[in-house]
Amino acid sequence: MFERFTKQARQLTTAAQAESRRLGHGHIGTEHLLLAMLTMPDTLAGRTLIRHGLGHEAAVEAVRRLSGQDRDLDAELLSEIGIDLNAVREKVEAAFGPGALDRPARSRRSALGHVPFTGRAKKVLELSLREAIALKHNHIGDGHVLLGLIRERDGLGARVIAESGLDLAALRREVIEELG
Amino acid sequence: MTDTTKVAADASSRDPAIGLRAVRALRELADRLEELQVRNAREQGWTWQEIANLLGVTRQAVHKKYAAKRGLFRSRGDD
Repeated sequence: MFERFTKQARQLTTAAQAESRRLGHGHIGTEHLLLAMLTMPDTLAGRTLIRHGLGHEAAVEAVRRLSGQDRDLDAELLSEIGIDLNAVREKVEAAFGPGALDRPARSRRSALGHVPFTGRAKKVLELSLREAIALKHNHIGDGHVLLGLIRERDGLGARVIAESGLDLAALRREVIEELG
Repeated sequence: MTDTTKVAADASSRDPAIGLRAVRALRELADRLEELQVRNAREQGWTWQEIANLLGVTRQAVHKKYAAKRGLFRSRGDD
């Protein structure tokens, strides 16, 4: 399947890995594919998402909120007792790097080793192949991956898009239109 | 702050369901900060005793809590 990936689609998977590492996550999920798209504004996927009003920073926040990894570190609760978690996070990340506050028990070594795709992220890549086949394209580009991401509705990536108020159906239509 | 929002804030801070969960979140935050700081201190070659002194706990306590973590907090040289 990967041999059918365009240069941009390959770059996208590499960027997704970088996003995962940057956040100190030990996996590449659908959310990292989404974040990677947002770091590539020159591609069809990135351009379309950004045009619909989704920014990288807002998406990172939404990932944090929705991933539930910080169920124990609730910004709203802390603000009840006068603690600004974002301010704390800013200071800590300035000193120790992005994501330093997110996963305290995680080994730093995992940040250097192989970062595996989650089942859902693999599914997204499979779906992007199916989208390409359905459109009679013989390559898989970043646009097809975005279509796959939208189709995998339960994934964190699609949930972040939907929660941010973007219209998944409209997004899908526009991507297909541009793919031609 | 308007009167209404102040009342709302006062009310929520008196709600044990909010207050207790806030304390728990604060404890979680403190734990994460402690782990970062201990890791950093170890990376800079501090001994467990030095770290324990500043945290106000015994050397055994801090060692037991962090030393077992897959050698993550091992500094060069000692133990």
